[in-house]
Amino acid sequence: MMWRDIKLAIRTMRSAKWRSLMTMTGIILGIVSVVTTLSLGEGIKRQVLKQVASQGSDLITVRPGNFLQRNQDGQISGISGVEKLRFPAGSLSDQDLELINGAPGIGEIAPILSLDSGVSYDGQAYQGGTLIATSNNFLEVIGKSMAHGTFFETRDRDRRVAVIGRTVAEELFKENVPIGRSIEIRGKEYVVKGVVDDFPAPLLGLTPDYNRTVFIPYSLGQQLDSGRLLAMVLVRPSASSSSSELIKTLSDRLFQAHGNQADFTVLGQDENLRIIDVIVDLFSSFIAGVAALSLLIGGIGIMNIMTVLVGERTREIGIRKAIGATNRQIASQFFAEALLLSLVGGLLGIGLAGIVNLSLLALTHLQPVITWQMLALAGGVSLGIGIVFGLAPAIRAARKDPIESLRYE
Amino acid sequence: MALLELKEISKIYGFGDATTIALDEVDLSVDKGEFVAVMGPSGSGKSSLMNMIGLLDRPTHGTYQLGGRSVARLRPNQRAKVRRDRVGFVFQSFNLLPKITALENVALPLMYKGVGTTRRLKHASAILGQVGLADKEYFFPKQLSGGQMQRVAIARALVNNPDIIIAGEPTGNLDSESSRLVMELLGEIHALGHTILLVTHNPELTRYVTRVVYMHDGQIVYDEQTAIGEVPKLARRASLLLQRRTAEDDYAGVSALMGIDNEKPKKTKRTKRRTARRKPVRAHKQARKIKR
Repeated sequence: MMWRDIKLAIRTMRSAKWRSLMTMTGIILGIVSVVTTLSLGEGIKRQVLKQVASQGSDLITVRPGNFLQRNQDGQISGISGVEKLRFPAGSLSDQDLELINGAPGIGEIAPILSLDSGVSYDGQAYQGGTLIATSNNFLEVIGKSMAHGTFFETRDRDRRVAVIGRTVAEELFKENVPIGRSIEIRGKEYVVKGVVDDFPAPLLGLTPDYNRTVFIPYSLGQQLDSGRLLAMVLVRPSASSSSSELIKTLSDRLFQAHGNQADFTVLGQDENLRIIDVIVDLFSSFIAGVAALSLLIGGIGIMNIMTVLVGERTREIGIRKAIGATNRQIASQFFAEALLLSLVGGLLGIGLAGIVNLSLLALTHLQPVITWQMLALAGGVSLGIGIVFGLAPAIRAARKDPIESLRYE
Repeated sequence: MALLELKEISKIYGFGDATTIALDEVDLSVDKGEFVAVMGPSGSGKSSLMNMIGLLDRPTHGTYQLGGRSVARLRPNQRAKVRRDRVGFVFQSFNLLPKITALENVALPLMYKGVGTTRRLKHASAILGQVGLADKEYFFPKQLSGGQMQRVAIARALVNNPDIIIAGEPTGNLDSESSRLVMELLGEIHALGHTILLVTHNPELTRYVTRVVYMHDGQIVYDEQTAIGEVPKLARRASLLLQRRTAEDDYAGVSALMGIDNEKPKKTKRTKRRTARRKPVRAHKQARKIKR
């Protein structure tokens, strides 16, 4: 294979742009889906990392419902029923909260009560938000600070105050600092006391979108919805104990209290990452399978067109052979064409994937990330396809008999 | 020592009853500087002989020495290299690559030899100048006339300075004026010392050659030296004697063997007759359709 074959192939490709583009479609789409899938997965993993970093790695989440199995050492051995995360049945009660609170090694604890009541401002209901009742120390536990104003304090126990996420401020009040304005929940007015700093975007529904959340004091939440089960309990270990120890203690205690049934999940922050990994990999491998199929079809498409081209250009092959082209020279000419098709297809695919990524960034809260490894993979895959599917037509071309080929019309 | 020497060369196609003997123990030796015309009716083995000498094909039996080297038993790739270095082809249908310029067409054999772009284009340009097409270098084949295309093809055959130039019916697709120019060009090339093998059924072309070989049923039946400028009597007679089929069948046969477009035969009485004959067939078919 030589430079002149590549130049020749570029020329052939230019002379039939439309056909070349059509030939490359399969590769293009395959590469787009591979790169997009991988970059979405990567983006999600990075968001989780960011979240872990912002919340501190020793944050422990206790959730209702069981979706993971642990081995003897307390390491995660399996994940199932992830879908329950979206629809927690609610198996954590106030008694459980007391139990958690009483466990040794507890540093801070923040229960989260998710409420269904609507929030409105100036007669206008807030759509798509979450209403959460939580304790005063929520911000300390989750490792966040206020953007404006203050979070509720002990003296706010029975005062109707609220703290809102940034997006709520922008969407409901249409201003950045709506402190002092009041929102309405179940006909009662709650005064906005502060706005919380930006949270990282939520992941696969594992955490609520805190930016779209209205926080009210826990006691008020209990009044609004007495007997409601907890959506989540956030726990931070005390300075003297480690988070893995605490996870084990909490799991054991709750297990006993729930009559030896693990209908809850105690999750460390780094374990969150592992779960996301599993989910992302599951989802990626599925799409990667589809993408691989599309790449295979793309490759066959190239082989197809190349075979037809070899047939169409039999006469040309005959002429080239008559004036002294060896089989190898003929083969490398057609091989270069197939390689070029798949490589250019790969490049176009990468370009298109870039556009898809940018639009995902702009239009959704997903934050796909393209790494050089993905680009290398895409390039390698398209090169591989060119080699695998370009070889057969090239050999076919090389083996043509010169006399027969010269006779070909 | 002859430039090319064929001894008992045979080419047999097929098996059993379908066996065709294209060449039947042909002996032929051509010296450097000869201009040989190979004549004969279609199916006489002209084209097979040409393919054999041009190393497009491999003989079933026999030995073939080209420039002192035995080439009868070479593998396809080795044959390709010998073609590249020692043989130049001129075809009836020009066989230029349509998507590259005249200059690039001429330079193509050099490309396969591995000559650098600048050098080969320079050389090709000089050769194009020799055939009188210096001003058509960047024309594409379809922008050239038939005669010009054939001259480009001749330049391409010449570019490697081959031992032998094989021209198969080079004037078959040309009008008489272009034919004359092409044959004169071949004559000039011959005068420069090149060896040329001309395959033709047209006795008029033998006036340019120094030797005429007649083929029939895969054998050389007559071999005669002639002077340039004269058409040997036998050539005229042979074309009558050996002609079992009409000239046009012959023409078609040669064309088919050469892999050549013969869709547009010039309007002769024969074609007129053919169309005349076809009509009733069509009418007949139509009648049958109507019956159904």
